[in-house]
Amino acid sequence: MMAEWLYLPVFVLLLCAMACSLVRSGLGPTVFDRIVAINAFGTKTVLLIAVYVQASGHPEYVDIALLYALINYVGSLALVRYFGARRVRGHD
Amino acid sequence: MITTINALVDMGLLVVLSVSALMLVRCNSPLNTIILNALYSFTICSLFVIMDAVDVAFTEAAVGAGISTVLFLCVIHPDDESGRLFVWPGPLATVVALATGLLLVFGTFDMPLYGDPQVPVHTHLVTRFLEDSGTEIGIPNVVTSVLASYRGYDTLGEVVVVFTAGTSVLILLAAGHARQDSGDGLISNSILRVVMPRIIPLVILFALYVQFHGDYGPGGGFQAGVILGAGLITLALLTDSRIMQGVISERWIIRGMAGGVLVYGLVGVASMLGGGKYLDYSVLAQSSTDGQHLGILLIEIGVGITVAFTMLSLFVSFNRSGQTGD
Repeated sequence: MMAEWLYLPVFVLLLCAMACSLVRSGLGPTVFDRIVAINAFGTKTVLLIAVYVQASGHPEYVDIALLYALINYVGSLALVRYFGARRVRGHD
Repeated sequence: MITTINALVDMGLLVVLSVSALMLVRCNSPLNTIILNALYSFTICSLFVIMDAVDVAFTEAAVGAGISTVLFLCVIHPDDESGRLFVWPGPLATVVALATGLLLVFGTFDMPLYGDPQVPVHTHLVTRFLEDSGTEIGIPNVVTSVLASYRGYDTLGEVVVVFTAGTSVLILLAAGHARQDSGDGLISNSILRVVMPRIIPLVILFALYVQFHGDYGPGGGFQAGVILGAGLITLALLTDSRIMQGVISERWIIRGMAGGVLVYGLVGVASMLGGGKYLDYSVLAQSSTDGQHLGILLIEIGVGITVAFTMLSLFVSFNRSGQTGD
């Protein structure tokens, strides 16, 4: 069993990383910054949930992190397609 | 130590949640709103996990990551992008909004504290469900017992609501023309062509795991349906509508939507024929718990089918109508 105090810095660092992504997704300046920020935020959510379920003693709930890891790409794909359509129309 | 960490993560996430909600209000373009909405969904899902509401977190994860972003992106148009800038509301509107907000905050003082064991909802039915569902239904996940057996009528109602919503979208958007695809779609990108055919089967496998593992862990028909829908929507995003028609035609999507509700309803009829009440699964097999297992398995399959095909139908309808403007 991992020493419990080690969880504290892990959570602090993860929350800091989430805060950074949040700031970037709010400020932009370009829409691509926001897309990368939301992707990073999604990855941090996967990690946060994975570490939290381990820390709280219910490692079987890691399914939720797995689900995010598996289908997080769908939104990014839709965004890519949206910009593809925009370029075809000559907006970019 | 764990309680300290719990409180810290809780507070950190609540701050992120509030900040992202404020940013959403100030947001001035549809695309940024969609991105911030996804961020909000990630945060609230983590909070659900911390509150031990893993089934709710599972639903939020499946819907937030798999469906809502895609559907929102289908309905916005690139021309909307330079939307109106955020304007502060007038003084009267500000006063009314602030007063309403303060009244709502005042109202929360009468609500029980989070996790208070003396709340009526925790002292009456919940204790009975927690203590007796093990012997009456015989499956470990109490949420599934309550959802599928004790509250089977409510869940039937929910499935009918999902079906009705899907049908309404079909009726409203039936006039849309089939979209003109560029022909090659995203699949012409070599990274996507290599990676995606390997990921989609895994997504479908995970959906089946969630579907049939719902008795033991978080998940069930609703979540599995959304995940399966997300897998099929990925295929639709990658290719064009012609290939999608070859994989699964719109006629079969509509049949699937209705078929799931039919499976659910027929399980109820079967239990009546077996001598029990409507949706009383105990009579479906030799022993009462075996009957409950079988009934829950069958109705969860019905739920999964309806949800998956409704998600697919929503995507197809929205995608089609999003292209009629030009």
